[in-house]
Amino acid sequence: MRVPWLRLLIVPLVVLPLAWLLFTGLGRDPRLIPSPLIGKPMPAFVGTTLEGDRFSSADLAGKPAIVNFWASYCIPSCVDEHPVLLDLAERYGEGVQLVGVLVNDTPDGARGFLARYGQVSWPTVLNTDGGISIDYGVTGPPETFFVDARGVVVARHVGPLTAAVVARELAALGLTP
Amino acid sequence: MIPTLGHLAVVIGLAATVYAAGAFLLGGRSGDALVLTSARRAMYAAFGLVALACLAMVVSLLTHDFSVLYVARNNATTTPPFYSVISLWAALEGSILFWTLLATGWASLVLYRYRARLPALMPWVGATLALGTAFFFAVMAWPGDPFVRVTPIGLEGNGPNALLQNHPFMGLHPPLLYLGYTGMAIPFAFGMAALITRRTDEEWLAVVRRWTLVPWIFLTAGIVAGAWWSYAVLGWGGYWAWDPVENAALLPWLTATAFIHSSMVAERRGTLRTWTHALVIATFVLTLVGTFLTRSGVVNSVHSFTTSGIGAWFAFAILVTLGVALGLLIWRLPDLGDRRPPGAVVSRESAFLFNNVLFLGVTFAVLFGTLYPVLVEATTGAKASVGAPWFNRVNAPIFVALLFLTGVGPALPWGGASWATVLERFAVPILAGVGVVVAAWALGVQDAAPLGILGLATFVLVVMGDEVVRGARSRARSRGEAAPIAVLRLATRNRRRYGGYLAHVGICVMAVAIAVSATLGIDRTATLRQGESLAIGSYTLTYDQLVTEPLASDPRVIETRAELSLAGPQSGPIATALRDYPNSSTAIATPVVRTALGEDLYVTLLGYNSTAGTATIRVFINPLVMWIWAGGAIVALGALFAIWPDRRRAAVSAAVAARA
Repeated sequence: MRVPWLRLLIVPLVVLPLAWLLFTGLGRDPRLIPSPLIGKPMPAFVGTTLEGDRFSSADLAGKPAIVNFWASYCIPSCVDEHPVLLDLAERYGEGVQLVGVLVNDTPDGARGFLARYGQVSWPTVLNTDGGISIDYGVTGPPETFFVDARGVVVARHVGPLTAAVVARELAALGLTP
Repeated sequence: MIPTLGHLAVVIGLAATVYAAGAFLLGGRSGDALVLTSARRAMYAAFGLVALACLAMVVSLLTHDFSVLYVARNNATTTPPFYSVISLWAALEGSILFWTLLATGWASLVLYRYRARLPALMPWVGATLALGTAFFFAVMAWPGDPFVRVTPIGLEGNGPNALLQNHPFMGLHPPLLYLGYTGMAIPFAFGMAALITRRTDEEWLAVVRRWTLVPWIFLTAGIVAGAWWSYAVLGWGGYWAWDPVENAALLPWLTATAFIHSSMVAERRGTLRTWTHALVIATFVLTLVGTFLTRSGVVNSVHSFTTSGIGAWFAFAILVTLGVALGLLIWRLPDLGDRRPPGAVVSRESAFLFNNVLFLGVTFAVLFGTLYPVLVEATTGAKASVGAPWFNRVNAPIFVALLFLTGVGPALPWGGASWATVLERFAVPILAGVGVVVAAWALGVQDAAPLGILGLATFVLVVMGDEVVRGARSRARSRGEAAPIAVLRLATRNRRRYGGYLAHVGICVMAVAIAVSATLGIDRTATLRQGESLAIGSYTLTYDQLVTEPLASDPRVIETRAELSLAGPQSGPIATALRDYPNSSTAIATPVVRTALGEDLYVTLLGYNSTAGTATIRVFINPLVMWIWAGGAIVALGALFAIWPDRRRAAVSAAVAARA
């Protein structure tokens, strides 16, 4: 009986593209989702701070800014990144403006956190109705957005900040300690 | 000590399966019975060894032996015993261990049952099964070792995945699904053996039909149980989201279902034989693809385990399996020619053919939608996702057409039908379907989808009812039996046909329930203060108070529940909660579901404010949802009825054997 040798060419025609597809899919992190906000103006927000002052995101214009979403219940991630934030504020000084935004947390909880892990020099906005988290597409604290001097979002970091991430993102904004 | 024993069992198991594969290949060529017996026994030994390894893991979990990395990651001292035991399949390495247990279990069962039958096929069946299980043992020996140790040993573990310790269904859904997945290796092994030995006749088809139906029942039950789990645990009020892993389970189910239908044509008419072989191969490859998708980190879903080196192993296994099987099929194409010309357009075989084309259409659509994000990312680097609306829109019309064929196919004769027969068979069912649609419309159902499905389901049910009545009536007349006995005898004398009908009844029930629950449900979200009420449908929910306390069964878990009083049908106190697990950053919903024949009341807590004492709840009224689960059970029962050993036939074959 005639064996259809030529038809066997179908095998590599099917298997090789599939091999390429499966192996290129490996080694990627499917949870890594880029923010659609990157390259867009930062969503504006207005709110009351922990100290009871009024804060508007318009106040951030003219300087690079870091918007840090956090909460007192976010342990250990927010505790881990707290010294990084304190260190960053000290080293970069007036070069960058920091603002914290609470995620689903009470003012008392947040004050207790700061009393325990170190007071900060920058404001934290209460975000009582969670609207700011929704505008920024925050999945959970901590999450940090880097904004350039024109008010355009340039990067998003999910999870606790590290000194290396801060140095990299701020260098991209033209800032050095 | 015990984990070391488990690891040792895995390593010896690997040796046993490699030996079995070699001995089956050798014995298959030489026909040496002693070698073949030793190969079979090596597979039984592998089953015993992996059972020992599973036992070692379960003991490690129950005794909270945190020197084992898997236990440290998936168990805590406070984990209740039930969830400790089922943690065997709650994470990557353990699930592969459990998978191997089931795969070697199936292989041993088949090798034992056919130890004295099909002598030409069995060595190759054994070799295929041994190679497949050897792969899983190898994965456990190298990249996915479940017994990796850690030092220093922690005093407390991370605890099981929060989602997986929230509902007892986790004890049921994965084993059912895994039994279905692993069992699909059996038809594949028989398919390979038939192609290798060129015995692609009706004998292997009969065996493969039975051994596809057995895992098919488990796969069906597993998919329905998974939908039920998703409904009862995830708190979003739905049961199917076209998540990659749901799709991964559905894909082999679709091709296996297509096979069950096409094999009937192949058996009766000797046509569609290449096609039937291709479906067996596709089913098995798709079970591997499903495993790959869930365990490689290629796609994101509620089920995906952490990124690991196992992905590359699975990708390699898929490619080798597909390459070898496809090559073998093409090589044997000359053997697989159709023995008869195709029948007329209006005939049972063409209904089966359309059925297969449609099943393949759904398979392709689901596969494309699932792999599209991977394809886009591989070519452009961009992230993409395909949502449930796309899957619904593409697949809904195909499923409707399939439902139509469910009624048409079994009522058409083989070979061809005249228009007079068609008219005679279908006039009453069509009228009944139209009648039900008009009645439902008059009763206030306005949406096209539930009306259409209701009409179609009625059509299908009346066609089948008519078939049963005809058969029973002629039997009652010729043998003088009472009507109920005639129906029973008719069904038990022709199990495959009537089991199939029963499965189709289940499909009709599910179709109506899905169409109605998807279109006629209502939901409302409200933030309530204490004492405030929310009215929906015929129910009124009054919010009494918010209670936060540790869970009695596991004090590390903090439950915040909104206590509500329900007025209306099934009145009484109900509570819906959010649970905070120490190892989960998001709270896990614990919805409360009040099930009735007509509709489910489904209440889930979205959020709360402990200072203000308010609770935000979402309430769904999901009509007919319990009929989805009931329909699934009927489908599985129908298939079980179809494969139930026939006492009469068994007696005949025993008599034949005795005479010989």
